[in-house]
Amino acid sequence: MEKQLLTLTVNDQKYELYISPKTLLVEVIRDHIGLTGTKRGCETVSCGVCTVMIDDMAVKSCSILAVQAEGRHITTVEGLEKNGKLAPIQKAFLDHGSYQCGFCTAGMLMSCAALLRENPSPTKTEIKEGIEGNICRCTGYNSIVRAVEALAKGNYKEE
Amino acid sequence: MNKYTVINTHVHNVDGVAKVTGRAIYTFDVKLPGMLFGKILRSPHPHAKILNIDTSKALELPGVIGVVTGKDTLGVKQGIWRRYQDLCDEQILPVDKVRYIGEPVAAVAALTEEIAEQALDLIDVQYEVLPAVYDPMDAIKKEAPEIHQGFERNINVTRHIEWGDVEEAFDEAEYIREDWFKCGGQAHMCMETRAAVSSYTPDGKLTVYHSTQAPYYMQGLLAGVLGLKEGNIRVISHYVGGGFGGKFELDGAIFCSAVLSMKLFRPVKIVFTREEDFNATKRRTPMFYYVRTGVKKDGTFCAREAKVFTNGGAYTGMGATALYLTGFFHSFPYRWKGYRYDGYRVYTNTLPSTSMRGFGAPQAMFCSEQQIEWIAADLGLDSLEMRRKNAHYTGYEVPDQATIGSCGINQCFDTIKDWTEKKGKLPENRAIGFSAAGFMSGGIFNWFDTPYSFSSAVVTINNDGTVELHVGAQDIGQGSNTTLAIICAETLGIKVEDIKVHSGDTDHCPADLGAWGSRQTLMAGNAVKMAAEDAKKQLLEFAYAQSGFNIVYDLDIKKGWVHAIARPERGYDYAELVKKAIRAKDGQRIVGRGYYTPHRKGMISPAYSYMLQAVEVEVDRETGKIKIVDSLTAHDCGQPINHLGLIGQLEGAFSMAAGYGYLEYMPYEDGKLMNPNLVDYKVIRSTEMPDVPVAEIDTYEQEGPYGAKEAGEGLTNPTAAAIGNAIFHALGVQMKECPIRPEMIVNALKEKETKVRNKEVAHERASKVSRMR
Amino acid sequence: MIHDFTYLKPGTLQEALSMLSEHKDECKIICGGQSLLIVMRQGLLVTDYLIDIKGLKELSYIAYDEEGLKIGATTTHRAIETSEMIKQKYPVLVTVEKRLASIQVRNWGTIAGNLAHGDSSGDLAPTLIALNARIKLASSSGSRIVPLEEFYTGLFETAMEKDELVVEVQIPPVRPKTAVAYKKFNLIENDQAIVGVAAAVTVENGGACKEARLVLSNAGVTPIRAKSAEMVLIGKKLAGALLVKAGEAACGDADPVSDIHASEEYRRHLIKVLTERMLKQAWGQAAHS
Repeated sequence: MEKQLLTLTVNDQKYELYISPKTLLVEVIRDHIGLTGTKRGCETVSCGVCTVMIDDMAVKSCSILAVQAEGRHITTVEGLEKNGKLAPIQKAFLDHGSYQCGFCTAGMLMSCAALLRENPSPTKTEIKEGIEGNICRCTGYNSIVRAVEALAKGNYKEE
Repeated sequence: MNKYTVINTHVHNVDGVAKVTGRAIYTFDVKLPGMLFGKILRSPHPHAKILNIDTSKALELPGVIGVVTGKDTLGVKQGIWRRYQDLCDEQILPVDKVRYIGEPVAAVAALTEEIAEQALDLIDVQYEVLPAVYDPMDAIKKEAPEIHQGFERNINVTRHIEWGDVEEAFDEAEYIREDWFKCGGQAHMCMETRAAVSSYTPDGKLTVYHSTQAPYYMQGLLAGVLGLKEGNIRVISHYVGGGFGGKFELDGAIFCSAVLSMKLFRPVKIVFTREEDFNATKRRTPMFYYVRTGVKKDGTFCAREAKVFTNGGAYTGMGATALYLTGFFHSFPYRWKGYRYDGYRVYTNTLPSTSMRGFGAPQAMFCSEQQIEWIAADLGLDSLEMRRKNAHYTGYEVPDQATIGSCGINQCFDTIKDWTEKKGKLPENRAIGFSAAGFMSGGIFNWFDTPYSFSSAVVTINNDGTVELHVGAQDIGQGSNTTLAIICAETLGIKVEDIKVHSGDTDHCPADLGAWGSRQTLMAGNAVKMAAEDAKKQLLEFAYAQSGFNIVYDLDIKKGWVHAIARPERGYDYAELVKKAIRAKDGQRIVGRGYYTPHRKGMISPAYSYMLQAVEVEVDRETGKIKIVDSLTAHDCGQPINHLGLIGQLEGAFSMAAGYGYLEYMPYEDGKLMNPNLVDYKVIRSTEMPDVPVAEIDTYEQEGPYGAKEAGEGLTNPTAAAIGNAIFHALGVQMKECPIRPEMIVNALKEKETKVRNKEVAHERASKVSRMR
Repeated sequence: MIHDFTYLKPGTLQEALSMLSEHKDECKIICGGQSLLIVMRQGLLVTDYLIDIKGLKELSYIAYDEEGLKIGATTTHRAIETSEMIKQKYPVLVTVEKRLASIQVRNWGTIAGNLAHGDSSGDLAPTLIALNARIKLASSSGSRIVPLEEFYTGLFETAMEKDELVVEVQIPPVRPKTAVAYKKFNLIENDQAIVGVAAAVTVENGGACKEARLVLSNAGVTPIRAKSAEMVLIGKKLAGALLVKAGEAACGDADPVSDIHASEEYRRHLIKVLTERMLKQAWGQAAHS
């Protein structure tokens, strides 16, 4: 299969890659660029552990051909922190114990971050709907909702 | 008032930063130089002889480096119940025959995953298909096909628990009820599927990265099946993406990757797809329950008799333990004058079943707690008071089985009663259901046949006062690293931030039975406490020598201050003292060792948690759809240690237990799982979760570190029953099968209406007849 | 594993149409790929050429005029879900979109991709049919408009020719005193429908039913227009017994399967219940509009 050039920005860093067009975005992120924070957990676009942001939108990177992300800005979990300072959503997760095994956490953080970008003051229902596409087998979701509620209340400021 | 400095305070998980920043490396992420990718070819037949496997075409495919089959292994039949050879029945890569659809028959290692997958299509397996049997009730028939040689009627394991004079107890009963139940299986459905990277090197050493609940078990089992010394095997498992009882046995990923690596001398990585994870990793044990219970008209429990057939699937796994525990917890948490349980685990040609969070107790409670509710209704009694009247208490001895060291169930009743009364009258089609439950804090039985202490720990104090805590206990997300660091911090009087936990590496950590049966807080916690106390003692001995305190003064350390308890203002800075102590020990760090193995703690566990759960459920009468609206759980886990961790365990357990109660259906047809994906297998999502408040009941468990007991599994036990009981009160139907699905409710309501109508018709007819006369 | 293909990325619709025309037998269109990639990864769909129209901005629009609503093919679900105008004029579409898959899928998946995939358990098709929608197909030789009701010809089969592309979805203005409701039955909020019912009711001034369109999801190999149920309602006033009759008639129109999620009998039961409920809801809303 003929490979082609792909240019995209991931976490404010521009990348030029040579990939076969059937490569999935999650494969580019994990295998070609080497950012393993984003995970894979199913083959049916169900679990959400592969969630990243394209521009400000949460998307499931396992169901997007990487070539469709040409020229776009991708944010992965590694892009949330700035110079070693955790993003407010990450701090909120730490304070509320909003993770256990941590495998869904990267995707969950991205869904929460995307939700807050669009809606800085979501209600509890809106938060639950915002992470509806992400499965967590460990926490039962409520601690994640509490973290986002605390953020929405203004308990965490960007440094 | 919290009397502790660190225990039960708000402590961040020690692995938190790694997990929220994407830095945590799971086996799923591991990459080694020269690594190959492995894929497994699986049997399409539920029962068949392997006549021949031709791998030649696969080997010719460019990029394929090697292929292995059962013939490349030692053919060892292994099992986690090592002590009982007859229960070690699984080769993983079988040599002679396959026993379930999805069983591995060959494995390929190639340069890319894609090539490995293509190679699978080129392996030619010749099978002689054998008759298969799927239902345990069919498998025990005389004419059923034999699945394992030497197991008559396919009965894999039997268990018997009995106390009191059961017949006499039944004679005393004034009301007897008997019911049949069917409890489904459940998939562990860990977010990280099974994964392993094995690397065998020319010096005869094997390093395995494995997503596992018990690195020590993997080390021991691999030694047995690969013919290697335990010491030449290193198992690394730093971050595990969920376990829930499914990851402490050898699985296809670890075994096939190891066999391939040993043949090819290159690292081999095998990661299961989600479909493989559903199809080919062991599941919760489906069970058929027959229960006969006799009580007095005032609700005093007299006798219970239970006969249980479990669908063991093709291999034993942890099924023997599940078979015993279900029978024991089926009596829990009540006093029975006479109790008899007979359990039969039956082989079938389906996915093997094994342990899953709750370990047979969710099934046991689904049957017991519902029948108890129906008995109360039959007799017109308050079901909570009936439960309370018969409940365990501290010091109670379950005859021949257990001594209850601490029991907070009685306080649970008042909490739940209050909550229920405050709810007042509920809207139509909504009701509250109760379930009591309890669970063990680790098991006493050494079926793994380990010569080592069940848990061990080493505490090493560095010159700067920081601590290296080496444990064999495995953090699989439940937060054991943090819980154990908290125990160490409390004992040594330092901060959690000053402790580095080393776990998940058999080269550097002591042996430990691992994370299952809710054992780690109690058992590893005790080991850590002992090790920390050992280190503390050495430091305090030095402090005594230094200080010249009168011999009547006791010393302690709190918040980094070594002081006389009676005169806390007199003391030393911990960090300064450490420096001096190390100098005095010729430059040796202070090392404390601890360990724990339960001795003479009955047949099951050193300590038991207790709980009473109330679930408010709304049912759509026309469609049968279930919605959990609210809940409250009154919970006794002794002294809570890790506050954030505890809440996480409780809420998480509820989500899994609710799934077992009404969502996670695992239908098989002719041995084939019909929904091996996350579209058709229903896992609860954020929009379905109710609030899960917990009321902690204060008790102190002598056997546990600082009075702690388990909190990881017990809460998986009551919810299915509580949901069933809520439906019973809302609609008047008895749901004898779980998961309870909407179609079943609609059918039950139809049946109820038909019965009512038939009664009315019969009544009308009878009165017509009498009028005619 | 996805089988190899030649990737084509047209810059304009015309380019896309000529590529389609050239490769018609051996190509597949990808837009958001939220349904397509799943089947490609399973190896169930193999294609020599993949034509990617996701980047065709000229097909991404939501416009409303006297002819009604026009949605371009590459408009995402999320754009529809968050459109104030659609919320005003066709609120049922926003309701349906909110319950479709997940936000992530809606951010990238498109309306045309969803409709062209032809899943009979989808939510959009039945709702749009209830809204009397039409679908505009284009090829290099021109375009044609097909009522959505006639678009589905079989299981995952549509009336599209091999060289045709969905370019637009057209929904006529909602008539006065008309309301449309859709509900699906599932265990988890955003899951696929076990069955679903879309009901569009137009009432006369006196409250009697002037027109009804009832469309069933996952009740057959295509979305099913429950015409005999509709006949029951015309000219009648809203009453419990009437709804029951309509529900029973809808059952008769349906051809549901038995699968692991529901038996045929239970699906019919659900169709009956949902039909009654959606008719009641739409009728009530129409009467008050």
